[in-house]
Amino acid sequence: MLEEIKSTSLAGEDKLPKYRDHEERILKGNYAAAEAARLCRVGFIPAYPITPQTTIVERLSEMVANGELDATYINMDSEHSVFAAAMGAALGGERVFTATAGQGLFYAHEVLQAISHFRLPMVVCNVGRPSIPWNIWSDQSDSLSQRDTGWIQYYGESAQEVLDTIIQSYMLSEKLNIPVMAVLDAFYQSHTSENIWVPSQKLVDAFLPPRKAGAMHIDLEHPKAFGGLVPPEHYYKFSYNAWKDARKVEALSTEIAARFARYFGRQYSNVEAVNIGPHTRLVLVTVSTITTTARGVVRNYPDVGLLKLRLFRPFPKTGVLEALRALPDDAVLANVERNFLGDAEGAIQQEMKRALFGARNLRMLDFYAGVGGKDVPPETIEKIIYQAKNDPRDISWADVD
Amino acid sequence: MIEIRGHARGGQGMVTAFEILAKVFNKLGNFHVQAFPAFGVERTGAPIQAFLRVAKNEILNRSNIYHPHLIIVFDETLLEQVPVFEGLNSQGAVLINTEKPPAFFADKAGKVFTVPATRISLELGLGSRSLPIVNAAMIGAIIRALESALEVALPVLRENVPAKPDANAEAARRAFAQVAVAGAEDDYLVRALYQPEQEMEPALVNGITSAAGESADGFQAPSWDKPLSINKTGNWRLMAPAYVTKAPPCNTNCPAGTDVRAFVRLTAEKKFDEAFELISRHNPFPGVCGRVCPHFCEQNCNRNALDEGLNVGAIERFLSSRSRGRAINPAPLLYGEKVAVVGAGPAGLTAALRLRRKGYPVTVFEALPQAGGMMRTGIPRFRLPDDVLDEEIAAIEKEGVEIRLGQKATVEGLAEAGFDAVVVSVGSHVGASIGLEQEHLATEGIGFLRGFKLFGDENGVKQGDEVAIIGGGNTAIDLGRTLLRLGAVPSIYYRRTIQEMPAIAQEVEEAMAEGVQMHFLVAPTALNKSAEGGLVLHLQDMRLGEPDASGRRRPVPIEGSVKEVQAGRVFAAIGQKYDSFVFQGLEVNPRQGRVAADKLSIPVFCAGDMAWGGTVAEAIGSGNEVAEEAHASLRGLPYHREQGQKGAVGPEDINFAYYLPSARHRQHTRLSRPKPGDFTEVTAGLDEAQLVAEAGRCLHCGECFSCGNCFNFCPDAAILVDEEGRLRIDYEYCKGCGICAEECPCSAIQFELTEEATL
Amino acid sequence: MSPTQEFLIKDEKVYSGALSCRGCAWSLLARHLSSILGDNTVYVVPACCFSIISGPYPLNGLKGNIVHTVFAGASATATGVRAALDRQGKADTTVVVLAGDGGTFDIGLQALSGAAARGENILYVVNNNGAYMNTGIQTSTATPYGAVTTTNPGGGYKRTWPKDLMGIIAAHNLPYAATCSLAYLDDLRRKVRKAADTRGFRLLMVDGPCPPGHKTDPALSISIARLAVETKLFPLFEIERQRYTLNYIPDKEVPVTECLKYQGRFKHLFNEENGYILEEIQEHADHYWRQLQTKAELSWNGKEKEKT
Repeated sequence: MLEEIKSTSLAGEDKLPKYRDHEERILKGNYAAAEAARLCRVGFIPAYPITPQTTIVERLSEMVANGELDATYINMDSEHSVFAAAMGAALGGERVFTATAGQGLFYAHEVLQAISHFRLPMVVCNVGRPSIPWNIWSDQSDSLSQRDTGWIQYYGESAQEVLDTIIQSYMLSEKLNIPVMAVLDAFYQSHTSENIWVPSQKLVDAFLPPRKAGAMHIDLEHPKAFGGLVPPEHYYKFSYNAWKDARKVEALSTEIAARFARYFGRQYSNVEAVNIGPHTRLVLVTVSTITTTARGVVRNYPDVGLLKLRLFRPFPKTGVLEALRALPDDAVLANVERNFLGDAEGAIQQEMKRALFGARNLRMLDFYAGVGGKDVPPETIEKIIYQAKNDPRDISWADVD
Repeated sequence: MIEIRGHARGGQGMVTAFEILAKVFNKLGNFHVQAFPAFGVERTGAPIQAFLRVAKNEILNRSNIYHPHLIIVFDETLLEQVPVFEGLNSQGAVLINTEKPPAFFADKAGKVFTVPATRISLELGLGSRSLPIVNAAMIGAIIRALESALEVALPVLRENVPAKPDANAEAARRAFAQVAVAGAEDDYLVRALYQPEQEMEPALVNGITSAAGESADGFQAPSWDKPLSINKTGNWRLMAPAYVTKAPPCNTNCPAGTDVRAFVRLTAEKKFDEAFELISRHNPFPGVCGRVCPHFCEQNCNRNALDEGLNVGAIERFLSSRSRGRAINPAPLLYGEKVAVVGAGPAGLTAALRLRRKGYPVTVFEALPQAGGMMRTGIPRFRLPDDVLDEEIAAIEKEGVEIRLGQKATVEGLAEAGFDAVVVSVGSHVGASIGLEQEHLATEGIGFLRGFKLFGDENGVKQGDEVAIIGGGNTAIDLGRTLLRLGAVPSIYYRRTIQEMPAIAQEVEEAMAEGVQMHFLVAPTALNKSAEGGLVLHLQDMRLGEPDASGRRRPVPIEGSVKEVQAGRVFAAIGQKYDSFVFQGLEVNPRQGRVAADKLSIPVFCAGDMAWGGTVAEAIGSGNEVAEEAHASLRGLPYHREQGQKGAVGPEDINFAYYLPSARHRQHTRLSRPKPGDFTEVTAGLDEAQLVAEAGRCLHCGECFSCGNCFNFCPDAAILVDEEGRLRIDYEYCKGCGICAEECPCSAIQFELTEEATL
Repeated sequence: MSPTQEFLIKDEKVYSGALSCRGCAWSLLARHLSSILGDNTVYVVPACCFSIISGPYPLNGLKGNIVHTVFAGASATATGVRAALDRQGKADTTVVVLAGDGGTFDIGLQALSGAAARGENILYVVNNNGAYMNTGIQTSTATPYGAVTTTNPGGGYKRTWPKDLMGIIAAHNLPYAATCSLAYLDDLRRKVRKAADTRGFRLLMVDGPCPPGHKTDPALSISIARLAVETKLFPLFEIERQRYTLNYIPDKEVPVTECLKYQGRFKHLFNEENGYILEEIQEHADHYWRQLQTKAELSWNGKEKEKT
């Protein structure tokens, strides 16, 4: 009986793909992130524990201790210090990695600004959770409230995607001198064991060159200061240059994803369209793990499509418009928010409205769902679809109203 | 609406001033006001801006002011540094804090106001000397420029200044009154102030062009790598430091005019030959002075405030003895005029040497059989051995001075003998009267010393004689010590106390240690023969009264308190006078320099003890000076007697934190009762190591000795040292903090408002 | 200590033109520090006056590397710089935090304590001028008791005692910590050299004259610093693994008022009704000194002490 089920499974449509120069493992999302950091040969890891990120830095500490990873690992005194140290090491020319969550990210907010305005490349994982009153569960309010710090933000749907995105992010970050935050969902992703294809070191090395000494790099032979007072006329130009480079992210991210696909065999895009065509009446707009659930549900609704946002900052406007090109003007968008930022609308609807303004005049419905780690099962998605079709209200709280 | 822009330096109070002005205008008549600084990181001294809008209607503009009606310049030095006049409204005006007249700035604006706000603020003690706070004065001036009411402004000003409301109000009042104006006589500013704005100009909005599609490369990282030294902080400076050389008290107090500081420094550097050469320029008797000079240099040495003055005498003595037997060549004779010097004492010999070195043939006429004057006849051998004096006189002779001994010359005789000028320096070798009826019973002290030294004449003094000496000067002391060595029992009677004694204090101490008795506050009233064949001296007890002209307290008799003392011999040693034989037949007042007497056929000059002061050093100084005057006279050159240097560095100018206490190297002096007939020198010299160490105690008052303090403590790296260790202030960067002057140990940096301040 | 008679800086490592006020400690400290530490040095500077003094973009006041960083994170940024240099084989490069008292006693204390406890190989130099001078003389926990700042709620002057930073630092069991005065340059320079030659976390606290903040005559900056040492308001000492050495014992008793009287921030203390505060300050200084003496006596019993 067991053998029969096994053989059926292997022969069927759900058969897992095979990748050359990969090892298939079952890993929690956090460990996938740690593996990615190892494969990218990060040199400096300042760390501070915070749930639900802790196992990432625990695993990295273990890797450094047992020689799997040649990096300097330092237990810092706070997330503020973690990011301040990351900044110092990045200026020193090191490839830097760390991870944080919720309070830690809020505490580091000041330094996030400094790192991005210093144009320092690095990749940081954030495992989303909210603030006080205490809650350690999945929520994107922490990272979404940091979307204006000048960092690039990716939201991963799966542990595999996190691993792959971290590898791509180092390339993007080091090309543009903009730091990247790779966001995981707490528990649904961080602590969920999944099938992970871990690429070989050889493959990653072929894809990702070592970090080159950038212009923002301490050079003992050519001393200079970094960050001394910048008068308005110069600061303005700094920001102008940062703005110019931020505008390159969407296109470069797409290019790097295409290159990644050639090496690793897995396809990624900034946004992903599911079942969006002339026949589509409703499109669910999602990020992270809810996407997966929604993907499942929409299979049952031929007139419901799905728009997954992977790159969130800078917001992939071109990609979104392209994704919705075939969507009729009388179709409806339902934005699903696992965040609450104090305004009527959540972050996703705010961004979608900005992206579509003047280009498309689609009706948007905003649905809060899963805030504070509340589970978002298919039923909730179905409720959203039902409500969107039958009782469309501008803003709704799924499972409350 | 009027728009005013101010330029100042951080710390001058402009931002506060504009805030106060906003309050003032609000009070003046319901104006809408807006005052704000250009936000920056203000540092004292850095250029800053502030803005003030005053309007009759609502102000619909929150940007900086680019086209002001009035520009206020708080600090004139900004004119070179900041484009302060930029954007001035075509009919606008400027108000500048300056001493210059408004016309000076006529090309800057159609109307110019000036006000000396810095001076006003300094006068009223607002701020510090290095950074006067001019804002109150500037408020007064602005009120004046806007033709507004000062009486409305003053209470607001008083309420809003952080300190000194009276002085600030007074500053505003004075500035209001001292504003000068030139240019257009119009009411442009006042109209601007009161005229409401008609309407807002519409803003133009341009679209933004997309920059998407550019390549990923090309991030130009900013680079903070240009030297900060392009920032010339020197223009912050108000007070400027400068290296100066000031006179030290040792030099100014040396009657001989010796450059004490310099020869001490050379000694410390072991440049003994140079040190000796330097002394010799002024003083041909360093060996004598090293032993017998009271050393005004040491008495006035600033080191006394720390521990003890430098032992300059020991240094002189060492340098002199070290230079014995040196090669000496006479200077060439350059002039034909023959000069005679009468008297071979320190003044005469110094003048003779000085004139000989200038190129005159010089002959010295000495009445006594040996040269040296009082050095020879008055100072006992145990203080000044003959060989020391002989050597120094011989050196003068080797330089080409002819000395004729045993010739008592007169001025007229010398003129007849064909001399072209005479220097008279016969000294004071005649004892002064003690003013007692039976004065002849007393022996003249100075004459006794002369007879004993020249001829060994003990004048009947015998072992065990009780001898009374009247007087308190060096002669009395030397007499006492000499008589002691002849076996007598000398007692000195002096009418004041030991503090007032004119004798050198150390000599007094030595005399007492040797056994000379001292009796103070007694004055002789009579001298008689006693029945036993001896003498009776009547003494009046005295007390000290008010100070006299010399500054010493005058002795006053205590009525009815008289006593008698018995003595085998009584010596008078209360002073000497000069012998007028040289001027035979002429009435001459012996003052330093040329003698004014019509009957003289050739120029005659007086010098030395007879004309000036009683010490060897003073005689040497006198000789130096008279030589200069004689030379000028012979050459027909103008001559001005040099006044003594004033304003020597005092102990209050010295930063004693940089000097460690260190004991004076003392010479050893025998202080026991001398054996009869023992006239060997009582004081021994110091050795070279001790001398160098002693010279190292010099504070270098008023002269840079490259200690490094100014360089080491300059926060602004504005002191440059060249390869030879010479120092220069880099005025491009010096902010004028004054630390270098404050930390200069020896007062060799001045810190003043000077021309450099406006460099 | 004997007076210096030498030009101490042979190779100037600062550019003239510093944006410091007249008589500022920062500039003088930077001159001496940089001349001793030389080129192979990276300075990490949190928000403080030196952020401004060292020059705006695109200028650099030091002939060396400066990393300007967030107020609270200097020790952490230095940790990162240190790690990067070490990984690149540049362990001989000195990483120096140059911070003010606000960035040390207050907002930076956590990061400082963290780096000190981790034993990071960093030299931490704090210019203690006793207030937030950069923002305009606000009270810090280093502000002396009795001093006036622009933030003195409840009475017009500070009514609490400053933190004993050296005590806090000593408790971290550091290999080397010392106090330094710009008036005693030989001592200061010796300590900088010693700190530079020591591995691990080292801290030097410098008494920083600040004419605008202390309301003093700029010319007196050094003289007042000297008086602070002479009056024992700022004793010079070293701590090596909790063992104390007093470096300068004044030969005569100079009352604290001799130092305070030159400083406008203490002017009000000389009003008759505030006389008791001066007495408290004197008592505090005397007690602190006795404490140091006792610690110094207890420190080297039976232990080898390398005499300097």
